[in-house]
Amino acid sequence: MATTVLPRPKAYDDTFFKPISLWLTTTDHKLIGIMYMVTGILSFVIGGIFALIVRLQLSQPNLKVVDPETYNQLISAHGVTMIFFFVTIFLTGIANYMVPIMIGARDMAFPRVNLLGFWLVPVSILLYYSGFFTGGALNAGWTGYAPLTEKAYNSHSLGVDFWALSIIVWAISGIMASTNFLTTIVALRAPGMKFSRLPLFVWAQISTSILLLVVGAPLAAAMILLEFDRQLGTQFFTTAGRPVLYQHLFWFFGHPEVYIMILPGFGMISEVIPVFARKPIFGYMSMVAALFGIVFLSMTVWAHHMFTVGMNTYVEGFFMLMTMLIAVPTGIKFFNWIATTWWGSVEFTVPMKFAFGFLATFLIGGLTGIYLASVPVDTQLHQSYYVVAHLHYVLFGGSVFTIMAGIYYWFPKITGRMLGRVLGEWNFWTLFIGFNGTFLIMHTLGLEGMPRRIATYANEAWAATNAIITISSFLIAVSVLLLLINIVRSWSSGEIAGNDPWRANTLEWATTSPPPPYNFERVPPVRSFMPLRDLRESGEIVEEPTPVPV
Amino acid sequence: MTSRVFRALITFGGLVALAVALSSCDVGGLHPIFPNPVSPNGQDIYNTYLAISVPAIVIFVGVEVALLWVVIRYRRSRQPVGYIPPQVHGNTPLEVVWTIIPLIIVLAIAGYSFGELQRDFQPISNEQMDITVSGHQFGWDYDYQNGVVVHQEGTLAGDVTPFVVPTHTLVKLRFRGTDVIHSWWVPAISGKTDAVPGYDNFSWLKIDQVGTWRGECAELCGVGHSTMQIIVQSMDQADFNRWMDQQKAGASPSASPSASPK
Repeated sequence: MATTVLPRPKAYDDTFFKPISLWLTTTDHKLIGIMYMVTGILSFVIGGIFALIVRLQLSQPNLKVVDPETYNQLISAHGVTMIFFFVTIFLTGIANYMVPIMIGARDMAFPRVNLLGFWLVPVSILLYYSGFFTGGALNAGWTGYAPLTEKAYNSHSLGVDFWALSIIVWAISGIMASTNFLTTIVALRAPGMKFSRLPLFVWAQISTSILLLVVGAPLAAAMILLEFDRQLGTQFFTTAGRPVLYQHLFWFFGHPEVYIMILPGFGMISEVIPVFARKPIFGYMSMVAALFGIVFLSMTVWAHHMFTVGMNTYVEGFFMLMTMLIAVPTGIKFFNWIATTWWGSVEFTVPMKFAFGFLATFLIGGLTGIYLASVPVDTQLHQSYYVVAHLHYVLFGGSVFTIMAGIYYWFPKITGRMLGRVLGEWNFWTLFIGFNGTFLIMHTLGLEGMPRRIATYANEAWAATNAIITISSFLIAVSVLLLLINIVRSWSSGEIAGNDPWRANTLEWATTSPPPPYNFERVPPVRSFMPLRDLRESGEIVEEPTPVPV
Repeated sequence: MTSRVFRALITFGGLVALAVALSSCDVGGLHPIFPNPVSPNGQDIYNTYLAISVPAIVIFVGVEVALLWVVIRYRRSRQPVGYIPPQVHGNTPLEVVWTIIPLIIVLAIAGYSFGELQRDFQPISNEQMDITVSGHQFGWDYDYQNGVVVHQEGTLAGDVTPFVVPTHTLVKLRFRGTDVIHSWWVPAISGKTDAVPGYDNFSWLKIDQVGTWRGECAELCGVGHSTMQIIVQSMDQADFNRWMDQQKAGASPSASPSASPK
């Protein structure tokens, strides 16, 4: 039996300190992936600072930390930054790094499109923030509903125009990335890497890319029509036009965008859980089918954001039914994850803790989603703090916890060094407690009648709850700070990881950490969806000595 | 040893969760549910919320207990040394079961909700009173269709002119937007209805008790959004008639909006 010897090339540990000219011109999917991820994390910090100012303002009734106009700009910037510049961008980065390696490819299919797609992101971000220096950024929420964003009600600054341009550029970048992912996965798979053997993270990236490809264009269309209204005097969404048309176009993008932000997370969880439970994923085929069930359903539910605009009740009934049906494929994934750990030998490393934190909290976001899907109940909960709580359980409990799991899981591969475990534990527990402290009681504020996006309130009955929320939100900030410290410390002086510190299943762990620019000297043979485990079991890969678990 | 610390932290986390759960049981101003509804459509929404809660709580408890069971029972330190888990790849009958059961549950919830939707959310035609509510930046106008208009200009403190309705009367509310989109929401009465420029949107209320209820605009509409407070006051028919006569007397010289507090 031939033994695949995988030598460890030297000097890739200093990737990050390569000359700036290399970073600016590289077409290496790994370096582009790192730049995406760093951009995402910086956006996370900036969007988090916006949120902390918002929480200070709301911590007690009648506060004037910022004036209402600034407040409206801050909530809009928080939403836009987190959704467009953090979660989506970070996930594109981690996929950019991992997908080609996981399928045994040398790079993405279109390296220069990859380069262009990435560099459009800073352009998009700078365009958006330009608003702050030209009289005020977008002030109508991240959704930017017309006619509030129309010239008649928003002519004091160029913030809305910069936002619209920024989103158009962002959509173009996203369409480029999606095309590239799909082509790469279809065309560049290693010998033996059949579709039925793709890692679930790669399947998740296929479904995400299809979604973004379909809904990116309508988003850009909405922004272009809004700009026509503002600059050319058309009447698409003005008070004299059809404001609700804007909502249809926006949410045809906006709801699938939720899944663009969570499906890669589902993929990461599907990688992390089997590795640390020491069992294969339960129901591989039904996991893939569930992904595509979600992709299909997510494009038929957008009007559930519009149950109070006065649609025909049968139309509302349709959107309610389709929305609730998403619970079925999501439930399949949940049960499969739990079944994967059942009878397992579960090691609660930091990535696994984040995976379980995700399962425990995302469940709440999923269940409150059922209440919100029910049209009558939604008319009460819509645009209240209940929705703010729900969407953070989905996007924080969902996307952020999965991203954290992904960071702790793949950091050793990307940098060659482990993220510190002790800081990681603190990172997890502060985030878990801070997150639930912030968002769990927010549900009750919504039930009591506190609308979202109000700059302040006079109701003393809401004061205590808001104070607890604000204190907890600062615990989240502490947690993010711990993450940053851990990343910086571990990157420079963390424990050396070796090729495969977790005894994982997929191809990225077959190469060195970090991988050489060409990824593999020789692509290992693929015989199942767990190629690395096959190689270990057949003795074709010699395991590095690992410390005996105590 | 780390696992002991982990277990202690889990216990602690459980206690925190329990404390939060208990504190949300109507103690200290935290309500687990909407204010007591005073209009039948609000009551139906309340009942729908409770009905959905039954399966939701069962699923929540079931899944969280399963997760805790995995954490406690299947952690590596609790397994025998050298334990190799069964390499199960799936179980088709089981997967079919956990596809069909959630499907039945959501179909039931959707069916129940759709019934309530047909009952309470159609534009009504048997109303005893028809009032046009129009939203503007930043306040509400209530047109009683008899020349009387209540101007409810917004203030942050919420000391706005009340919108007065008679008790035991089915009132049709016709919403109109005059500038941007607003959303009229008084949680104790019913859900919210958007006031969108370009078309009329409908809701209704029927309050059987005398009282005052608060609400506010729920759709971000500009810098004064948080000042768009709402007060709905219900009076019995005699008081309402007296109030209406006063309005007619007061409003006839000039129906200027400056009569209301700014």
